[in-house]
Amino acid sequence: MVDAKHSTLQGPPAPPRDSAATLGLLGYVTAHALDDDYREAARTRPGPTRSSRWLTVIALAAFMVLIITAATQTSRNAVAEAHERADLVKQVKARRAAVDKAQARILRLRATNSRLSADLVHNDKLSAGTRQRLGDLGVLSGVAAVHGPGVEITVDDAPGATTERQTVLDVDLQALVNGLWQAGAEAMSINGQRITGMTAISQAGSAIDVNYTNLSRPYVVSAIGDPARLPTRFADTVGGQTWLDLHQQVGLAFDVRTRTRLDLPAATAPALRSAEPAKGGAS
Amino acid sequence: MIAVLGMVLGVVLGLVFKPDVPLWMEPYLPIAVVAAMDAVFGALRAYFDGLFSDKVFVVSFISNVVIAALIVFIGDKLGVGAQLSTGVVVVLGIRIFTNVAAIRRHLFHA
Repeated sequence: MVDAKHSTLQGPPAPPRDSAATLGLLGYVTAHALDDDYREAARTRPGPTRSSRWLTVIALAAFMVLIITAATQTSRNAVAEAHERADLVKQVKARRAAVDKAQARILRLRATNSRLSADLVHNDKLSAGTRQRLGDLGVLSGVAAVHGPGVEITVDDAPGATTERQTVLDVDLQALVNGLWQAGAEAMSINGQRITGMTAISQAGSAIDVNYTNLSRPYVVSAIGDPARLPTRFADTVGGQTWLDLHQQVGLAFDVRTRTRLDLPAATAPALRSAEPAKGGAS
Repeated sequence: MIAVLGMVLGVVLGLVFKPDVPLWMEPYLPIAVVAAMDAVFGALRAYFDGLFSDKVFVVSFISNVVIAALIVFIGDKLGVGAQLSTGVVVVLGIRIFTNVAAIRRHLFHA
């Protein structure tokens, strides 16, 4: 470039094909495709010597080695790339299979999950029923505290009692309790002692034991049941008749009051050590 | 005749030894091949022009290969290796085409 400018400034205009500036890069490259050295060498040709001929052969051999090497290298690379590609494809397929498997597992687990939660809901309903039943049994057996409407019957010795007959005896209380059960009482207590299937009402000297606890008169029997029907139905029972006689003939105090709410305590649940439910007997 | 002998020798050598190209040389090999092709076709054209010189051929061959590889090497170091190798390939490609066209004119007179 500098050379070309230099020549245009100083010397006579150079022939167009020698000037890169006027030819342009493409033209220059085309015009000088053949190394100028060949022409220079041809002008001062000393003729091929033996050694230089051999150098040509070596250069040509090197050229072919170069080409072969490049070709093998490329093909080798291509083979390696193909291998890599196949490897990657294999990996992708394996991963995809793993993903498919995992997805199938997810579906399966989801199905199991929904089934289990349905079971859970079902069990909840079941357990709700069981709880209801447990509560009922607790009320019936007396191990659960209960409340409800009912009647309160207060009995006492006859005023100025002198004979044993004029006092309230265990048999009198037993008659009263049994009559009330018969009349439809659902839960009962005497002076705060809950009456259960295992309650014993017994005479202990001048006092009466209920649940092996000494009670003192007056005896207040709280019975939960229909307050409207309980007294009349009690009057019809054997116990009711007995107490009518005791009240009217002997003079024992007998007072019936209806209550809208009675609170009965729980009985101590006895520990079962030997008794087991009979097979198929549970209902 | 002796040139064909050299080429056959080269092919045989290349196939027999299968030289392993070091990794750092790999990017320069294609450019070196193109540069060598330029030198070889230039020599062939000079031969048909009656200007062939063994010395010029050998010198141009070696310098072409070395300079082409060097340009790409420096380009790589400068971060413009791809662009420079494209330039080298374009220039050498044009030269090859021109020389092959001259050879064709000599062979077929067309």
